[in-house]
Amino acid sequence: MTTISAPHDVTSLLHEWRQGDNQALDKLTALVYDELRRIAHRYLRHERDYHTLQTTALINEAYLRLINQQHAGWQNRAHFFAVTAQIMRHVLIDYARRRHYAKRGGKERERVSLGDATIMSHARARELIELDEALKDLARLDERKSRVVELRYFGGFSIEETADVLEISAMTVRRDWRAAKAWLYIQVERRK
Amino acid sequence: MSPERWREVEAVLQAALDCPPPERAVFLDVACAGDDDLKREAVSLIHALTEAGDFMEQPAMAHDARVLFAAQRGLDAGSRVGRYEIVRCLGVGGMGEVYLAHDAGLRRAVALKILPAYFVLDDNRLRRFYREARAASALNHPNILTIHEVGEADDVHFIATEFIDGRTLRELVDGAIDDESLDLKDILDIAIHVASALAAAHEAGIVHRDIKPENIMRRTDRIVKVLDFGIAKLTAHAPPQFSTQVSNDVSNEASTIINPQTGAGVRLGTISYMSPEQARGQIVDHRTDIWSFGVVLYELLARRHPFAAATQIETLVGILEHEPPSLIISTAGESPASNVSEHLRRITAKMLRKDALQRYESASPLLDDLNAVKEELELAAMLEKQAASKTASPSENMEQVAASLHVQPLNEKNPALRSFVSFAFIAAALVLVVAAGAILYQGFIAPRSVNVSNINAAKLYRRMSEREQLAFIREQEQRISQMMGDRRRHTLDEDALRSIKRVVDRYVARIGSMSDEHGNEDLRVIYARALPYLPLISRSFAERKVPVVVGIYLPMIEAEYKTCFENSIGAKGMFQFLPQTAKLYGVAHDEMCDVEKMTPAAARYIADRMAELGDDAESMTLVLLSYNRGAEWVRDTLRRLRETGSYERNFWTLYAHRTELDEIFRQENAQYVPLFFAAAIIGENPAAFELQTPPLSSSTQ
Repeated sequence: MTTISAPHDVTSLLHEWRQGDNQALDKLTALVYDELRRIAHRYLRHERDYHTLQTTALINEAYLRLINQQHAGWQNRAHFFAVTAQIMRHVLIDYARRRHYAKRGGKERERVSLGDATIMSHARARELIELDEALKDLARLDERKSRVVELRYFGGFSIEETADVLEISAMTVRRDWRAAKAWLYIQVERRK
Repeated sequence: MSPERWREVEAVLQAALDCPPPERAVFLDVACAGDDDLKREAVSLIHALTEAGDFMEQPAMAHDARVLFAAQRGLDAGSRVGRYEIVRCLGVGGMGEVYLAHDAGLRRAVALKILPAYFVLDDNRLRRFYREARAASALNHPNILTIHEVGEADDVHFIATEFIDGRTLRELVDGAIDDESLDLKDILDIAIHVASALAAAHEAGIVHRDIKPENIMRRTDRIVKVLDFGIAKLTAHAPPQFSTQVSNDVSNEASTIINPQTGAGVRLGTISYMSPEQARGQIVDHRTDIWSFGVVLYELLARRHPFAAATQIETLVGILEHEPPSLIISTAGESPASNVSEHLRRITAKMLRKDALQRYESASPLLDDLNAVKEELELAAMLEKQAASKTASPSENMEQVAASLHVQPLNEKNPALRSFVSFAFIAAALVLVVAAGAILYQGFIAPRSVNVSNINAAKLYRRMSEREQLAFIREQEQRISQMMGDRRRHTLDEDALRSIKRVVDRYVARIGSMSDEHGNEDLRVIYARALPYLPLISRSFAERKVPVVVGIYLPMIEAEYKTCFENSIGAKGMFQFLPQTAKLYGVAHDEMCDVEKMTPAAARYIADRMAELGDDAESMTLVLLSYNRGAEWVRDTLRRLRETGSYERNFWTLYAHRTELDEIFRQENAQYVPLFFAAAIIGENPAAFELQTPPLSSSTQ
C-alpha cells in the first residue's frame, strides 16, 4: 500500500470508500476521529443548547481542516458528511456494545473505565444497540430511509443538509424521516 | 416484511399522514380496500408517530458526545496489561490514556500510555508509530524520557515509559509568575539539560519537532527530562504526559484559523513554539528544535513569550517576520551581571534566527555556550561574595580569584569561554555593583488596539465587576468618539452608558453560540465575516477620509444583513443601500451584492453625508441614520428639530432628545447609536472580547 501524504488522505480514502472499499472507512475513522472529538466537545460545552448547534458548520470545518485545499468539491463534501455520520454511528454503537457486554461479565468481559457510568448508562447502551439493529433491518427494507436516519440521527444533520447529501428533495427527506421514525419506534418498542 | 410490501405500506402511510386527522380513518378504509393487514400496519405506524414523542428528536451526539472521548479502552485499577499492573489513571488526552502502572517484573513504577482503539485501526499510522517509538526508545540519555517498552498485550497497544515525579516547565513557568520563581541558575541548569538531550537525539538523527514547556519536565531531584521525542509528530494532539481532565486538554488543543478568502483551513498547533519553517509547512530538521527551544528559553528568562500578541494571526506574523523584543532578563533574585545578560541575549538571538541556516548548526555548540554562561554566572557570584567580604584585601581577592580560575576547567575548544575568563579577571579588580531590584521587562509588542487602563487590560470583560465594566465602556466611548473626530469632551449620561452596556452584554453572551441565525451568532463569527472585506473597506474609506471605525462597524452591526452571497465557508453580509440610494450612487440592484462595487459606493455615500452634515463625531449618528433611513428623512427630521429651538447637535443630545422626536427617529437613535458604540468598543478591544481579529481600525496603514 502506498503511503499517501496527509492533505490527500481524506480525498483518496473517500474515493476508495465510494469504490466499495470498506477498509477505507476504518482508515477514515482514524483520520477524522480527532475532528469528531472536537465536534463532540462543542456539544459538551453547550449541553443546554442542543437546538442551536449546527452540525454542518462543525463538520464543514473539520472537512476543510482535513482537506486543506481551496473550494473542496461539493461532491466530496457531501460524501464526507455521509461518511462522518457513519463513523459517528460506528463509534457510538461500538462503545455501546462494549458497555453492554461489560455488564454481562464473564470471560469475554471487556474492560471499561471507571468513568463509564457517567458517559453512557446501561439503559442507553441497550437503547442504542436496539436502534442500530432496527436500523440495519430498515436498511434491508428501504436503504434510503436508513441513510436519512443515519444522517439525521447520528450525523445530526438538518432536513436540508440531508437532502443535499442524498440529492433528494427536502420534502422527500421529511417524509422518509417520519416513516422511518414510526417504523423504528415500533421495532425498538417491540424489542424491549 | 418484504421491501415490496413495505413500499405499499409506506405509500398508504404517507397519504394518510397527508390527510387531516379526522379524515384519516375514512381514507384508510378506502385505500386499503379490504387488505386488513395493510390497514393494520398503516394504523400502527400512525399511532407510533404520535406515541413516539421525543424519540430520536435530538441527534445522538446530544446525549452521547462524551463517548467520543471515552470510546477507547479504559482500564480499571488492578487490570493488567502484560506484566504491568494499573495503579491509577494519570490523565486522558488526544493520544489515549496515561496510567501509572507497576512493572511487576522489574518492580518499578512506569507511565503506561495506551493507544486508543481508533488509532490502532489505521495500519499505516500504527506502523509509523511503532517505527518512531522504537527509534526514540533507542535513545539513552539522562535527560531524555526513557522508553522502556513499546508493544501489545491483552489486546492493548501501549508505550511504557519511566514515570516522572515532577512538574512540567509549563507549570514551573506559570507558577513562577505567581509565587515560587525560577532563578537564573535554575534556568541555566534546565537549559543545559535540554540542550544536552537535544544534542544526543540529533546525533542519533531524531528530531523532536514539538519542543515546548509542556514537553519538558523537571523531576523533584531537579533532573530535567524531555518527553515525547519523535512521537509528538505522529499523534494529532499529543498531550503533556500528565494532562488533567479531557475538557482541559481539548480546550488547550490546536485551534484552526480558516482563511475566509481561500476557505482553506490552517491547522495551528500550539503555534507559540512553531518555527518559521514549521509555520510555512516546509521541511523540518533538527534546527527546528533549536528554534522551539529558543522560544522556551526566552520565555524562561524574560517571563514573557517572545512573540506574544493579541491574536494567533499576529503571533504567526511575529514568528515569520518580526524580531522578538530585545531580551531583558527578568528572573527572581538579583539581576545578572551585564555580560551574562549579553551572552544570553546573543545565544537566544542565535536560536531564534528566522533563517534556519543562521541558527546554531547543532545543539552541541549551543550546549557549550550555555555551559560557558553558567560558569560565568558562578564566577560572578563568587566574585561578588569576595567583594562583599571585608576581611580579604583586594590583592588577596585577586589571588584567590586567579587561583580559582586555574581550577576551573577551561574549554579549550571554545575561545569564547577564554574571553569570558579574561574579562572576569579584569572585572575582579573592580567592585561589582548590582542594581537593586529586578529589571522590569519593557517593550513588549502591544497590540494596536485602543489601550485600556492597566487594570482592565489584564482582565476580560466578563471577569470585570459591573462597576469596572461601566468604567471600561465609558472610557472606550470617549476613545471611539475621539477616533471619529469628536472635538468636544462630553460626559455620557448614565442612561446612555447603560444602554451601550446592555448591547455589549448581549454580544458577550453570544460568545460560544453555535447558532447560525443572525442576531444569535457568536460574535467571532460576525467578525470573521468582515475580515475578507477589511482591506477594501479601509482603503475606500481612508481615501475619502471617512473614519474607518464608521465604515467597518456600520455594516457589522446592521441588524438586517441580507444574505448576499456565500463564499466557500458561508460568509455573509455587507453594506446594504436603500434602493433609492443605490440608484443615486450608481449601483444596480443586482450589483448590491458585489463587494467591489458596493464598498467604494458606500464610502462615497458616507463622505457625501459627512460633507453635508459635518465630519465630526456629532454628525456620525446622522450619517448612520441616513444610511438606514435615507438622507431625505434625516434632513426633514433635522429641520423639525431645529424648529424646536432646543436642539443641539451631538450624539448624545440627539439621544437625549429622542422622546421629542418622531417615532422612527427615536427608535433608531435609541437602538442604533448604542449599537454602534457597542460594536466599535468590542471591535477595538479584541483581547477583552476573545476575538481573533485584530482591532479593525488598525487595518489602516
